[in-house]
Amino acid sequence: MTTVMSKPVSAPGKSIIEKLNFFTALALGAISAIVVWRLALQFLPEDTEVRLFTREDKITLLSMTAWLVGFMTGIGALVGPFRWLMGKDLSHEENMFLAGKDMGIKRYFRYTTDHKVIGIQYLVIIMVIFGIGGILAMLIRTNLGSSEGGWIHPQAYNSIVGTHGIIMIVGTIIMVTGPFGNFIMPIMIGARDMAFPRLNALSFWLIVAAAVPLLWGQFLGGISTGWTAYNPLASQAPLGMDGYIMFICIFAISTMVAGANITTTVVRMRAKGMTWNRTPIFVYGVVASVALGLPAFPVFFLSQIMSAMDRALDTSFYNTAGGGSGWLYENLFWIMGHPEVYVILIPAIAALMEMAPVFTRRPLFSFNVAVMGIAGISGLSVLVWAHHMYLSGWAPLLNTPFMLTTELISIPTGMLFLVLVGTLWRGRLWMTMPTMSIFALLWNFMIGGITGIYLSDVPADAFLHGSMYVTAHFHYTLIGAGLTGALAALVYWFPAMTGRMFDKKLSWVAFWIVQIGFNIAFIGMFTVGLAGQPRRVEAYASTFNTGNMITTGGAYLIMSGMLVLLYGVISSWKSGVKAPKNPWQAKTLEWTVGYPVPLENFEVLPTVTSDPYGYGKAQS
Amino acid sequence: MSVETHAHHEHPDVVGSRNRLGVILLLVADIAFALSMVFVYFYLRGQNVNNMWLPAATEEHAVVTPLSASPGWTVTAIVTFGLLAHFYGLKGARSKNQTQLKLGSLVAFVASVVAIVYQFNTIATAPFTFSDGAYVSCFYMFAILNFVHLALTVFISLGNWNRARLGIYVSDHWHVDIVRVWWVWMVVSSLLGAFALSNP
Ligand code: HEM
Ligand SMILES: [Cu+2]
Repeated sequence: MTTVMSKPVSAPGKSIIEKLNFFTALALGAISAIVVWRLALQFLPEDTEVRLFTREDKITLLSMTAWLVGFMTGIGALVGPFRWLMGKDLSHEENMFLAGKDMGIKRYFRYTTDHKVIGIQYLVIIMVIFGIGGILAMLIRTNLGSSEGGWIHPQAYNSIVGTHGIIMIVGTIIMVTGPFGNFIMPIMIGARDMAFPRLNALSFWLIVAAAVPLLWGQFLGGISTGWTAYNPLASQAPLGMDGYIMFICIFAISTMVAGANITTTVVRMRAKGMTWNRTPIFVYGVVASVALGLPAFPVFFLSQIMSAMDRALDTSFYNTAGGGSGWLYENLFWIMGHPEVYVILIPAIAALMEMAPVFTRRPLFSFNVAVMGIAGISGLSVLVWAHHMYLSGWAPLLNTPFMLTTELISIPTGMLFLVLVGTLWRGRLWMTMPTMSIFALLWNFMIGGITGIYLSDVPADAFLHGSMYVTAHFHYTLIGAGLTGALAALVYWFPAMTGRMFDKKLSWVAFWIVQIGFNIAFIGMFTVGLAGQPRRVEAYASTFNTGNMITTGGAYLIMSGMLVLLYGVISSWKSGVKAPKNPWQAKTLEWTVGYPVPLENFEVLPTVTSDPYGYGKAQS
Repeated sequence: MSVETHAHHEHPDVVGSRNRLGVILLLVADIAFALSMVFVYFYLRGQNVNNMWLPAATEEHAVVTPLSASPGWTVTAIVTFGLLAHFYGLKGARSKNQTQLKLGSLVAFVASVVAIVYQFNTIATAPFTFSDGAYVSCFYMFAILNFVHLALTVFISLGNWNRARLGIYVSDHWHVDIVRVWWVWMVVSSLLGAFALSNP
């Protein structure tokens, strides 16, 4: 008898779950947006003379909301909740279908619940985000190549700066927890999937849905306020601001869902025997990051809802004429904004701490100190926000306490440094791109952190605030530390995620070009910042010429390095050397499952009997 | 690390406790959201920028007087009743009394519908416009977001009742336990709103 093709048995007629995918989502999203837009145009009452333009904002926000609802319905996000409502929970077969069983490439375009699929989806969307954000960055740097202002219209320039900022912030927030937190982390703790696979798909597709309002906003006057969208500036900005508002609201929901999901997974689903001190440090980093986001992003969410209300309904949260306050916005923004920078940093450092023992073949130098460092940073990071507001005039008396808390953070940060240095110290290093990245992080973050301490000093900040020095500082932390760790994670976990080795030569070439270009670009930016060049301007005095040319040159180097890396990703994924089962000889569980990883990861769930860094006694 | 054999089967209690933690963590986010609203309220009230917390009378409009606090407390009372009804149902589920479960869930659902209608009415008939100063802005913020919460509550309690009706909770009832967590939060968040709005 010939083998029967084992098609999943489904109910007569295609069930709704099987029909929905990315394309139905696009279609339904677009149709809903257009319908609601037409209806709103038709039926919303005209503005009164006192207050113009709120009608346009209402129409825009309503249409964008319709897009969101349509898109999420079209992708299938509502199927689960409604089946629960009707008391017809998804059957095992349906869940297997949702997990993408035997589906091939199509599962990447669906509401697929398998954490490995979602990890890859995140990886791809992050490459897209960095691609777009990178193009915007190159536009900025090209325009700043000469002092008299370039060829970009100032209005457009402002919008490019704001869009670059927010898109990159979102990209860096998800760059480690998205791909590696999803693909690697559940296997690392010995789980079959996330605690809530459907919520996992939800958090990913919300990000896709969020991209559209941001893009849409570009055609409605753009985001002219910078990534911080300070009010009341934002309430006077063109309609494009509504795109920013929607983008943030949707993204906030996505992070909350992801945060609850990842934290539950780690707390409840670790393998038998994986006690807290046998849990890999990377897992701590991921959890600290998302758990910090859990209370932080709702604050941002609310700040944007109030922004939307001020714009569309004429309330006065931020409008001083009506009893509101711009300082209120600044407070809300930075209560989220400072923890958020550690949301970005912690998982990147934790990924490098995971790799350090592997490439030195010795235990992590003080696991406990590493955990304490992560906890200390997380705890303190919610107490420092007003260091962004020293010069806003909000509460001068609070400047000193905030200076103190800010400078205190260098202690737990220093602990993480010590852990890395201590692990490398006198080790016999296996030189790989990830190993080099540890050194790069130590160098870059030393500069990023120390300049941060200058900025947290109130008198120094009086001079430096609002200058290119601030911009250089946070690029040192975001690129120099965060992105460096993320790229190392990509090379390190590439074999587990694709079954192939990342081309060694390309990874080295890309590493050096990016790191050299990066240091050139942002040292140049520090010099012009110190000399007094303000940030977010489109033209500048000719004294700043040299520094800006250096920065622009460095930026082009970064771009070339990133293109080499991109080429490396594509070529290695397609035709790289097939990876052996555990190419780095690491001791964590993600290397035990082989490639391709089976749908539910483990035939039998593993039991853990030791910590993951038992590389024997230090050999020095 | 070594890999040993270990049978694979998930007990409803395991799934239940996992779901419970997930819901609580989502509530952490929601609580942060609600506390930020309270922060906004007290910040703007404390600053009273340009004396526009409750604007004085002008030639165009009369003085803005805060809404009598009773609507906030009434909503809170209705959802408290909903919580009690749900709890009554939950006790039924625990003592294997399906009729009690069904009755409690139904009453809780009805309470959520009454609450949302009432909340909508408060918003629709509020005696001011959006631009009447900071207190009014905060009023709308609390009221609208409470409305959104109530919409979720209607969905959840309808599902809960329907599932109870279908006999899904005969063998295990951790869903009902978790829905109670939501109801408790619904009461607390209504209370926060009522408390804030009655202290102008
Ligand atoms: C030792 C640690 C750090 C200290 C003491 C520090 C301190 C500061 C201070 C005082 C400012 C405000 C400067 C001003 O606006 O005048 C600032 C801005 C900033 N920092 Fe840091 N920082 C540190 C680490 C980091 C890290 C790790 C990140 C990101 C991963 C980061 C990202 C930023 C960003 C994005 C801004 C600017 C936001 C804006 O105004 O657009 N910082 N930092
Ligand atoms: Cu900060």
